[in-house]
Amino acid sequence: MKRNKYLLLISSVAVFLLLCWAAVAENYLKEWRRIQATGRGEEGRIAVQLRQVVNNNLGVADRCVSCHVTMGPGEQGVRGAAVLMPHKPAVHDPAEYGCTVCHGGQGQATEKADAHGRVHFWPEPMLAKEHTYAGCGTCHATLRVPSQAQMKSAALAFERLDCYACHRLDGKGGTVRPDKGGMEGTDLSRAGMTGWDQGWHAKHEAKSAAAGAGPWKTAFRPVSSEDQALLAVFLNTRVAAPKLVAAKSVFHSSGCLGCHKVSGVGGDDGPDLSKAGYKDPGQVSFEHVPGKGEMKDWLAEHFRAPASVVVGSQMPPAPLEDSEIQQLTFYTLSLRRKELREVYLPKDRIRAVKFREREFATDGETLYGAFCAGCHGREGLGRRLPGLASFPSIANPDFLAIAPEALLKATIEQGRPGRRMPGWKREDGLRGEELSAVVGYLRSMSPAAVEADGRPPRWVSADWRSGKRIFESSCTGCHGKDGRGGEGPALNNKVLLAAATDTYLVETIRRGRRGTAMKSFLESSPVRPVLTAGDIESVVAWLRTLEGGKK
Amino acid sequence: MTPAYPQKDALRAFVEHLKSVPQRIRETAFRTGPPTTDRTRSTFVFGNVFLHLHAVRTHRWSLRWSTTAGLGIMSVSAFLITLVTGVLLMFYYKPYPEAAYQSIKDIHFVVPTGRLIRNIHRWAANVMVVAVLLHMARAFYTAAYRRPREYNWLIGIGLLVVTLGLSFTGYLLPWDQLAYWAITIGANIAQSPREVTDALGITDYFDPGGLQRLILLGSDQVGAEALIRFYLLHVMLLPLALAALMGVHFWRIRKDGGMVRPAEADAILARQRHEETYPVFTEAPAKTYQLAAIVRGRTSNVGRGPENTVPSMPHLFYAELGVLMVTALACLALALVSDAPLKELANPSVPENPAKAPWYFLGLQEMVSFSAFMGGMGIPMIVLIGLGLIPYLDRETEGTGQWFGGPGGWPLVRLSAVIGLCVPVVLESFAIRFGWLREWFPKIPQLIVTAVNPGTLLTLAYVLFSIWCIKRYQSVRAGALGLFTCFLCGFIVLTIIGTHFRGPNWMFYWSPSDWPKH
Repeated sequence: MKRNKYLLLISSVAVFLLLCWAAVAENYLKEWRRIQATGRGEEGRIAVQLRQVVNNNLGVADRCVSCHVTMGPGEQGVRGAAVLMPHKPAVHDPAEYGCTVCHGGQGQATEKADAHGRVHFWPEPMLAKEHTYAGCGTCHATLRVPSQAQMKSAALAFERLDCYACHRLDGKGGTVRPDKGGMEGTDLSRAGMTGWDQGWHAKHEAKSAAAGAGPWKTAFRPVSSEDQALLAVFLNTRVAAPKLVAAKSVFHSSGCLGCHKVSGVGGDDGPDLSKAGYKDPGQVSFEHVPGKGEMKDWLAEHFRAPASVVVGSQMPPAPLEDSEIQQLTFYTLSLRRKELREVYLPKDRIRAVKFREREFATDGETLYGAFCAGCHGREGLGRRLPGLASFPSIANPDFLAIAPEALLKATIEQGRPGRRMPGWKREDGLRGEELSAVVGYLRSMSPAAVEADGRPPRWVSADWRSGKRIFESSCTGCHGKDGRGGEGPALNNKVLLAAATDTYLVETIRRGRRGTAMKSFLESSPVRPVLTAGDIESVVAWLRTLEGGKK
Repeated sequence: MTPAYPQKDALRAFVEHLKSVPQRIRETAFRTGPPTTDRTRSTFVFGNVFLHLHAVRTHRWSLRWSTTAGLGIMSVSAFLITLVTGVLLMFYYKPYPEAAYQSIKDIHFVVPTGRLIRNIHRWAANVMVVAVLLHMARAFYTAAYRRPREYNWLIGIGLLVVTLGLSFTGYLLPWDQLAYWAITIGANIAQSPREVTDALGITDYFDPGGLQRLILLGSDQVGAEALIRFYLLHVMLLPLALAALMGVHFWRIRKDGGMVRPAEADAILARQRHEETYPVFTEAPAKTYQLAAIVRGRTSNVGRGPENTVPSMPHLFYAELGVLMVTALACLALALVSDAPLKELANPSVPENPAKAPWYFLGLQEMVSFSAFMGGMGIPMIVLIGLGLIPYLDRETEGTGQWFGGPGGWPLVRLSAVIGLCVPVVLESFAIRFGWLREWFPKIPQLIVTAVNPGTLLTLAYVLFSIWCIKRYQSVRAGALGLFTCFLCGFIVLTIIGTHFRGPNWMFYWSPSDWPKH
């Protein structure tokens, strides 16, 4: 019976020892304690304690400052371990805003792996260093960002006109040169946020005229109105995050909005991207994704080959260079759009959400790039992809030369019901003047002049019965039985038939479309018979019967 | 009253009294003097509100490790540990969605020793479930449920149910994905009578399943209402119920004559040599046992002398405290090695796949995958009722107090274990390999699937085997031995299948590492 006594003794001693160990681990072995113990402030050792940044309006309680001590409120000049160093100068003081709002990660955590969010079961790992600026997207939505090409030419204009001579921008320029050229002018890095003087050109001219010598005389020349417009585009998008804006311009050239929504604007074919940057790496498959299971690898691979990453994806792969893929990834990571309290809602978000200002520039080129380029291609030449219905070449000169204005407009406004082309005249789509801008840009994609059509929209009066016979022998191979579509586009589409004039249809069959499988039916071909003008008209007459109601 | 000192010495008396305060506190606390002799220890035990649940003397048979393996005390110890750690956690826990999750994060990362306390709480809860189950098995295999302990066996079943309830309600409180979807599964099991009412087409008029789920969740989905409900159950109602039942359980142990022991216990003890022997009394009895002699009735100690007993203090208390500390040691060691899980914040729009109930319900979930009603309600009810009936059906006396005592004995238990393990393995293998009725005949009426599925067939096989045992050994105890062993083995097999071999969409996988990566 003594063994009960020994059982009690041994187990009690063991419990006591384990508790001692737990006490030591709790009080001495925590990483943040060891880091803080190395810290020396102006008055010697700093207090070793848990530190945090709390901001209830932003919903943060970030204990990151338990290790990154100097980034916390009221801490200065603490030396010691490397992580104690202060934050780089930033617009948003981490002591007020906390850390996770911009950087992601797990603010409540007090251990490195957990805090940086690179653990199981934390959906929001910290943004990698090269993607730090994606954190801006948590609150901000840069407005009026143009397409990639426009962005490039606007940036080049700023450089070409040597604005850097006097103005500082994102850490470049605005210094007096050894040759005494240039001067320290206004910093324009945040012109897009703070606004800029619209009358700058006249003022510059006046000052230049008044100056006798110096940079005002030597560095300034009057700027043409086209260049002024480019500079305006450039300045509007200066928000101290040039790489993020550049990435956004790639987004606005890749047509993603054609199928995806961002903050309530865009198509419905794909998932809403407003919070795509918060996608949980724990919830996606990395089976076919190279790399270390990080979201950026997943996104990049997903742009290159959507269907291999997401089973059954109908998204066309992005025909982009790797650098552009990286930029798209970067921008997607920035799509966070956290719900914010009024006090912290930035002006650009208010303008975007409350005043419905556009995040994309509203010129035709950008609109085409943002909404259409994904399917129709940046050059408008259409895309044929295995496993997907082919996307028509809408910049084909033969098409644009004969396509009536009403057809283009109706197609964009109403789309092609039953196919992937959505109609864009709706609340979350394009507005009136934007629709015409896209039509205008489409026209500009072809050098061919638009041919005037003096005839009424419906003038064909041939016999549809023979047209049906001809259609069945000559057209169904591509356009499908009853014009339902196949390799070629569907012709029984209501919107198409309603908006297409007879001239347009007849001319399309007559001339064909160069560069596509649709050849002219007036030319002889080994694979199909030549049609006479009368034949073509009867085919058109039969097509008209597909509108329904007449047959 | 006459003052002890003349009035002029009142001041001195005050000082004297002041000086003697510590001594007086000791004296008044122990009332009968410090517990240094067996007699004063005895009076100390029955004079103490916490200790008087113990008999003042304990039979030596009860102190053998093989008698109980300390499992009952281990269950109580685990409960006490969860009680203490649970109260500590309550200081920081906020029972509201999201806030709950954040508070667990705070407990984990910021509250001093919070992580350790939470880990201990979690491990002690698991230890408690295991200990209670093993305790029940011990009581069964030593036939301790027999007269006069039948009723205490019923109380024990109540304690098992409340223990599982406590563990289950605690599962939701972290409000993470694990919790949310486990409780969603649990709530759907509560709703499973709908499987039958739907099949009969009477759900619109009579919907006990929906009502059960509504009562459990307080809403039509797992939300703030469910959380506050589970919290209240977890920290108040169920612990109170458990404490009350425990009180009855312990009191009945005394009233039913202490630990069960075989009739020949004294003879066996006498044959064994002991390193030390205890005299029955270390001093001449101060009381006679005449009073006990005139007590009538069936109370167990009537007419028995104190032979082969030792004073509970200290011998029983060494054993009890020893088990308490061993339990604490186990929980503490596990808590230091393994963190309690905390997944992502609960998100109703992202279902966990597979969503699994707590481990002790995974056997049920496995059966639920064939028929929600039979797996989740029907068979558990049958098992609970069967358990409750055991002491009233088995009125034999052979083998009481002996491990695997009774007709058949260990060979029967061994045979039952083989059958109990093989039948569910074969049934499950068949169902996993070839599917079940629904896969073969998609249009089959649900009632047939409810009635004929691996769970019911398993139950049927066990019952048939048990009937065979009764006939073969001409003993109800043999049937009980067979049935209990079978169900225990079935529970183990199904729990392992549900825990280890079931992956996304409840498909079979040889190992969790084979699961598709989402």
